[in-house]
Amino acid sequence: MTMRPSVRDAMLAAVPSLRAFAISLCGNVDRADDLVQETLLRAMANIDSFQPGTNMSAWLFTILRNLFRSEYRKRRREVEDTDGSYAESLKSHPEQHSRVEFQEFRVALAKLPADQREALILVGASGFSYEEAAAICACAVGTIKSRVNRARTRLAELLSIDSADDFGPDHTTRAILSAGGRG
Amino acid sequence: MQSHAAMTKTGGRLSREDQRRLGDILQRVYDDVVRQGVPDRFRNLLDELDDQKKGGEKPASPGSAQARESKPDELMEARGFGQGAKSFPQDKGSSS
Repeated sequence: MTMRPSVRDAMLAAVPSLRAFAISLCGNVDRADDLVQETLLRAMANIDSFQPGTNMSAWLFTILRNLFRSEYRKRRREVEDTDGSYAESLKSHPEQHSRVEFQEFRVALAKLPADQREALILVGASGFSYEEAAAICACAVGTIKSRVNRARTRLAELLSIDSADDFGPDHTTRAILSAGGRG
Repeated sequence: MQSHAAMTKTGGRLSREDQRRLGDILQRVYDDVVRQGVPDRFRNLLDELDDQKKGGEKPASPGSAQARESKPDELMEARGFGQGAKSFPQDKGSSS
């Protein structure tokens, strides 16, 4: 059986976003890439169960998410290396301001409960609809919506509380949040 | 316009402006990785898998992707994708 070029191409096209999703989920670039690799292997081994015409990207996200969940359960007691590897992955970023800002944001993101984090990323960054995100996470659409809302609220809290020691909540929340507008 | 301090103190819903700003940072953090494109590692892997498929059931080269078993996969809950979420097993712990 020959893999049709379109399948391979569709998988290739999904890799950048899969990596971004994986890194956001596990907070560690090396683990994330292993997760992506395992996802591609599983997908290829089970390509017959993919329904042509459906969303390849969403299918791969589902596999990756399930892999992460099963691995996460095993590693629950391990300490996450959030800061180190994130910093590593961003080393080459040209803008120092963004690097620091990104790092701060990622640390806050890592503090969210896993189900809130994945919902927020799928809808807010990966570009999936609420319905697609619900399918990927195997839950109801309403559940996704409430997770996204809670994630946003919690993030805003974290971003202000974390820096409160230095500048006070009003100043820092404004600083961190408004930095987004200037690119 | 509601101040940010008030927003975080009350723990209520975020203003549209704050949602937009949070969403903007999230998108840029995410896109920062997306822009890295496809690492060679994955391009090579897919090429290798593609060759394997074309070569039939031949054993793959040592150390390659082939080592993974192909038993029925409990992770392939994605099987029914596109036919609606209802067919998915419910994920416990989703009530947080």
